[in-house]
Amino acid sequence: MRQAGTYSGILSGGISGKTGPHLLPLARIKKIMKKSGEDVKMISGESPIVFSKACELFIKELTQRSWMVTMQGKRRTLNKEDVASAVMATDLFDFLVNLVSESGNSGEAPPSLGLDTFTSS
Amino acid sequence: MATSAPVPASPGGGGSHESGGEQSPRSNVREQERFLPIANISRIMKKALPANAKIAKDAKETVQECVSEFISFITSEASDKCQKEKRKTINGDDLLWAMATLGFEDYIDPLKIYLTKYREGDTKGSVKGGDTFAKKDVQPGPNAQISFDILFHLLVNNSHSLLIKVRSHKVFIMGILNLK
Repeated sequence: MRQAGTYSGILSGGISGKTGPHLLPLARIKKIMKKSGEDVKMISGESPIVFSKACELFIKELTQRSWMVTMQGKRRTLNKEDVASAVMATDLFDFLVNLVSESGNSGEAPPSLGLDTFTSS
Repeated sequence: MATSAPVPASPGGGGSHESGGEQSPRSNVREQERFLPIANISRIMKKALPANAKIAKDAKETVQECVSEFISFITSEASDKCQKEKRKTINGDDLLWAMATLGFEDYIDPLKIYLTKYREGDTKGSVKGGDTFAKKDVQPGPNAQISFDILFHLLVNNSHSLLIKVRSHKVFIMGILNLK
């Protein structure tokens, strides 16, 4: 019989108050790990599992810190700038500063192609 | 659905609209390699916020990028350690060490608990109690372990008699769920 099943996470959310065993796809985590350096070749089976939880904690923390910025602006919608501000304000997230400020600046700037003759202002 | 053939972007032509498609067309393929699925990210974000909170798409995308950066950041540190110690395989403890080194000490305890549960669930769990569930799915390993959450949590603090109690209770619950 095919059904949503015990392992889908939908049902287990009811028992333990959590949704599913791993909230993030392990194969994808592994791929991203492998892309982080040439010397990253072998990864133990439990490494992506550690990351699935770690990323969850990370996302939660980043989101909550961003939300504090949103609240300070008396808004209800968390936007990209809030995430950027939260990153800037938190030492722990120093490694994200470039990423956040890059995307913040280049969001408006078109890619450097010779095509944009129509620079609408 | 018949997907139309990709329109060749004429290089010299006067297609003024083509500079507008800055990110969407090719990023889909790339995203699958570089990022975790945005739906999962979004779900975790929502869980961290009050119910009336809204999240803009660009915020989700930013967090999505940040998560990949986080994984790379930690992995690189762990990888360096492995190289120094002349080991080839990055394991869970290397990652925990890297996180502690890089300022994520707060994650260590929850992760250790999570990892312990996984390890126990993987060995004892799937051998002893797992057979109850194993019939249903091919791989009871990592998936089944969450069902042992309560079991192992109690096991740490309590005696074996409780273990048996919890296990039978668990089987009972699973029974109910299977009916639905």
